[in-house]
Amino acid sequence: MKEVLTSRKLRLGAFLAVMGPGIIAGLSDDDPAGITTYSQLGAQFGYQLLWVLGISTIALILFQDLGARIGVVTRQGLIGLVRQKYGARSGLLSATALVLANIGTMTAEFAGIAAAGSLFGISKYLTVPAAAILVSFLVLRGSFARVEKVFFILASVFIAYVIAGFMAKPDWSAAAEGLFVPSMPFTQEALFIATATLGTTLAPWGLAFIQSYAVDKRLTKSDLKLLRVDVWTGSLLTGIIGFFVVVTCAATLNANGQTVIDDASQAAAALKPLAGELAKEVFAIGLIGAALLAASILPLSTAYAVTDLTGRPAALDDKVEEAPLFHSTFAAITLVAAILVLIPGVPLIKILVLTQIVNAVLLLPLLFYMFGIARDSRLMGEYRASDRMLAIYGVIIALIFACVSTLIWLTIFG
Amino acid sequence: MKSSAKTNQSAALTRKGIQSSLVSVAGAIGRPVKDQDGRDLGKLVDFVVKHGGETYPPVSGLIVKVAGRRAYIDGARISKLTKDEVILSSAKVNLSEFQRRTGEQLLDGDVLDHQIVDVNGLRVVRTSDLYLAPLDKEIRLVGVDVSFRSFIRRIFPGTFGRKPGVDKVIDWASVASLADNGGVVRTTATREALSRLRPADIADIIEDLEGREQSALIELLDPDLAADALEEMEDEDLQGLLRGISDERAAELLSHMEPDESAEVLRDLDDEHSESILAQMSPAMAKQLRRLVEFDETHAGGIMTSHLLIVKESDSVSDALALLVEHRERDISDGVTVVDAKGKLLDHIQIIELIAAKPTQKLETLVKAPFPTAVSIETPLEEVIEEFSNNRGSSIIVVDEKGKPVGRILADDIIDAMVPAESTGLAQGTGALS
Repeated sequence: MKEVLTSRKLRLGAFLAVMGPGIIAGLSDDDPAGITTYSQLGAQFGYQLLWVLGISTIALILFQDLGARIGVVTRQGLIGLVRQKYGARSGLLSATALVLANIGTMTAEFAGIAAAGSLFGISKYLTVPAAAILVSFLVLRGSFARVEKVFFILASVFIAYVIAGFMAKPDWSAAAEGLFVPSMPFTQEALFIATATLGTTLAPWGLAFIQSYAVDKRLTKSDLKLLRVDVWTGSLLTGIIGFFVVVTCAATLNANGQTVIDDASQAAAALKPLAGELAKEVFAIGLIGAALLAASILPLSTAYAVTDLTGRPAALDDKVEEAPLFHSTFAAITLVAAILVLIPGVPLIKILVLTQIVNAVLLLPLLFYMFGIARDSRLMGEYRASDRMLAIYGVIIALIFACVSTLIWLTIFG
Repeated sequence: MKSSAKTNQSAALTRKGIQSSLVSVAGAIGRPVKDQDGRDLGKLVDFVVKHGGETYPPVSGLIVKVAGRRAYIDGARISKLTKDEVILSSAKVNLSEFQRRTGEQLLDGDVLDHQIVDVNGLRVVRTSDLYLAPLDKEIRLVGVDVSFRSFIRRIFPGTFGRKPGVDKVIDWASVASLADNGGVVRTTATREALSRLRPADIADIIEDLEGREQSALIELLDPDLAADALEEMEDEDLQGLLRGISDERAAELLSHMEPDESAEVLRDLDDEHSESILAQMSPAMAKQLRRLVEFDETHAGGIMTSHLLIVKESDSVSDALALLVEHRERDISDGVTVVDAKGKLLDHIQIIELIAAKPTQKLETLVKAPFPTAVSIETPLEEVIEEFSNNRGSSIIVVDEKGKPVGRILADDIIDAMVPAESTGLAQGTGALS
């Protein structure tokens, strides 16, 4: 009996005690990077690019759903499955893409902390190291479960955008047109923010995470219905909050000629119709909660996903020498991200959006591998994606590829 | 990657001359396949090995890409295999399609980069490379490389990527490959290696394996050993595992577990699933478990084990001893429970008392104080614990409303009942899924 107790391993599934995986994956999009990117989209282009968010949400639903299905059917994590199906090079490529993308997203979380601190007049040299130490301590000591609800409640402050959206009296017919009638100025700025929106909504870590979660919780085909409900709810919620962020910013910032967001206080100004003089504080609290929540789960879920490469699942209570890959991934993500944000004079809001472009680029190999797995009938059996679904996945991948490559083209030659 | 696990240099690998002739499977894939005159026929796609009774399975064929098509070439036609190329003994290539036969495994498709169990190192790893060598007139699979270094080596192009790094090679005989290939791949060596492990180690290995490999391992194990390992697993993992295997196999395993443990597992499964497992069991076993499942875990009936050796007071000592011998594999058979003609509990007699008595002696002569502590099925857990601490005995007998013994509670059942409530604080909910 004693042996059983000491051999208990603290894995990903047990770590996240309160929330459903779909909600968590959805949160990756309402983190500081998501809120800032959506704010920028609304401030700069009004309602015109709402359709980009619409497509991003559809892509999120479809690929999260696919990730859940792959996890349940193959009962393997994404990185391990890629190594198994495509070999060593692809395994390492997908792991590297995931780690780089997640360093970017983690940087965005710390930038969010720094931006929130600046709203209260506190230096980032205090807030960012404090946040890095806090989340590492909570996660590595295993006491995260006790505080996750607190972070979650803080982050849910962003639901305020739904109310603020109505109070700002937006032009609903323009919003509907922007959502359903695609149009876009062919400029680098427009393409930049559209790509960032795709990258922040369909974030790489959410895809790896949902699959790891299904595997780690040992979910089976009979659980798939419930898991899909959770995934769809989380993804839709993301889209809805994103929609109201864009609408609020379009009706307040864009309508008043404020089309460029350079610092957090300008983004916070969108909440004025609701929170009045408290807009800054409300915005800062939401940023802190969402950033801490994502920053706690992100390095850990990445470290779990990467250990898939060795085929030996790591556990939170493994010693450093027992699981070097696990601990080095965890440390790399936290440290590199914190250091990047602490570079003197680095533009925080720009970082928040720029990392999401990186996300979009690194999404491509991961989506490509998922596509390959989805059509492999030996792996997926009766759950192999239909030709029609494969065509839809293909269109989404092609769209992201087109955005990224055109953006690179315009940046170099434009 | 540094590993504390034991690596076992195989007899075959250390045999003189073999090390230098090792061919890396990962490196050979994609290399040219040529005829005797050096003409290119195609590119190597995969090796087929045939598992039989032998420790080191021979290469029974090659899959070669010839003019865009995958063709099967029989292993007997290989003239020479080096790390750079395969040379065939005759020029004629019969382009038959590969059909997997029983016991055949694809080295790249089924084993390379898949999880295996390193039986000596007691761990689960992914195979970074596989090594072939000529042995007993055939080319055979002799070793597995599980080092992270060899995995990284494969990233590099050219000859460096194909060079075997033999320092961390594990003997093929000491791993269990669980690749799911639709067929049956189980060498006796693997089975024997696994049977030497302790149940707690197997439980750890099961928890580290991915779904399909997990089910494969369970299928491979002897039911008694598998059942012991299952008893060591966390409830949550155990339930996931049971959902991944057939109802028939689940029924077999649960029948081999202690009844109270099986009942606890069944109680946590959803009704539909537990019913379909029970339907696969013998009617007597299913009936017994159904009754146990009914009992609440917070009462004596819910934590007791229903395994009792019941004898009548009119039976002889030798009858009782014979019954104990018959059930010797049960580790809880430390004595017999004596009942009167109506089946009411009289006493629990330890083995030592039986051995000290004459074989022909009637059991009624041994019935005397101290009598065992007895509780009813509905006795709450707290009272059972109190009884234990008051009496300092190692077990308590549970009786039904008529005073007939229906089960026993051992000290470790009490620990089982008390511990989960305190230790699973982190693992309780599954969020929105629960």
